Amino acid sequence: MSETAESDNSTPAVAEVSLLAIFLAFLRLGCTAFGGGTAGWVYRDIVQRRGWIDEQAFLPDLAIGQGMPGSNGVNMAVLVGRRLKGGAGAFVAPFAMLAGPFAIILAIGAIYGRVGDHRIVHAVLDGVAAAVVGLSFSTGLTVIARGAAAPSSIAIAAVTVLCVGVLGWPMLPVMLGLAPVSIGLAWVGSRP
Amino acid sequence: MRDPQAGSLFALFAVFAPLSLLSFGGSNAVIADIAHQSIAVRQWTSERDFADLFALSRAAPGPGSMLCALIGWRTAGVLGALVATVAFYLPSSLLLFAVAKIWGRWRGSAWHQAVERGMAPIAAGLFLSGGIAVLRASPAGPAVWIAAGVTTAALIYWPKLHPVPLLVASGAVFGLIDLLQT
Repeated sequence: MSETAESDNSTPAVAEVSLLAIFLAFLRLGCTAFGGGTAGWVYRDIVQRRGWIDEQAFLPDLAIGQGMPGSNGVNMAVLVGRRLKGGAGAFVAPFAMLAGPFAIILAIGAIYGRVGDHRIVHAVLDGVAAAVVGLSFSTGLTVIARGAAAPSSIAIAAVTVLCVGVLGWPMLPVMLGLAPVSIGLAWVGSRP
Repeated sequence: MRDPQAGSLFALFAVFAPLSLLSFGGSNAVIADIAHQSIAVRQWTSERDFADLFALSRAAPGPGSMLCALIGWRTAGVLGALVATVAFYLPSSLLLFAVAKIWGRWRGSAWHQAVERGMAPIAAGLFLSGGIAVLRASPAGPAVWIAAGVTTAALIYWPKLHPVPLLVASGAVFGLIDLLQT
């Protein structure tokens, strides 16, 4: 088992950052995260660019954030904020992430009607959306490579993609069905 | 409720707060309910209006569910937007925080680690599936798959690259193609 050197490290790395730094980082994240897939933007900025938390911390948060109700991006802000600065971080991060888009959407709403009906606007939005999917794909593939690279983990991820992404089955039953298998495999894999 | 403003604020809260706790898998899961509530039940928007507000919410940055802010704004101004947004995000966030806190108490135990490690590949798989769902729903056909593939490769190859230039480039290319076709 060659991957155990990294995954045996049970204490995920979390950086020391101030509440103001969290506020500014998530404010910027909210304003630049176009096209949805906000959890991907959180990964790109907080994990890859700033290195505040590592994949070992990000992946469990992604799992809880997706399994619980709520927007994935806001859920990630709550969980990552909590990791970085406890309850205060869990409040400041989603607040900052929503503040910018809230102001922007009202401004857009105020001028809407003038641009919304042109076909080219829809074409441009399609292009942006496609690039955002690229962000989601690269995030998913990178976190698998860095944080869940055991053959059994890759198999579980592939089955998830097959059921939900390809066959279009609803997320919750797939998650409930695969979770015991995957947790069992992780449990067996961690025994000496 | 005598005051119509207070009445509509209360109605916004009453619609969006329960949906917050039902939005398993993200806010996309309750878009259909939001449409039903705001068009048929409460008559906050017409069908055409709702489609436009939905498209607008996709064009703005941030979590895709700023739709609730727009509907709130339509219904009761800026205060309505605020109430709808808080109602849609606060309940799920509080629940999540409580669960994360309880979950954190068991950190370090073997089964806690097994659960986190076991859930990780499922989370990653769901994340990839979300992208596939968007591509399948897109009216633009094979072009979005190519654009998504190119962006994926670029972002993996250059981990520090900021995604916005790629988004702008992709949007520009699609706009250009659309211009050339007419």
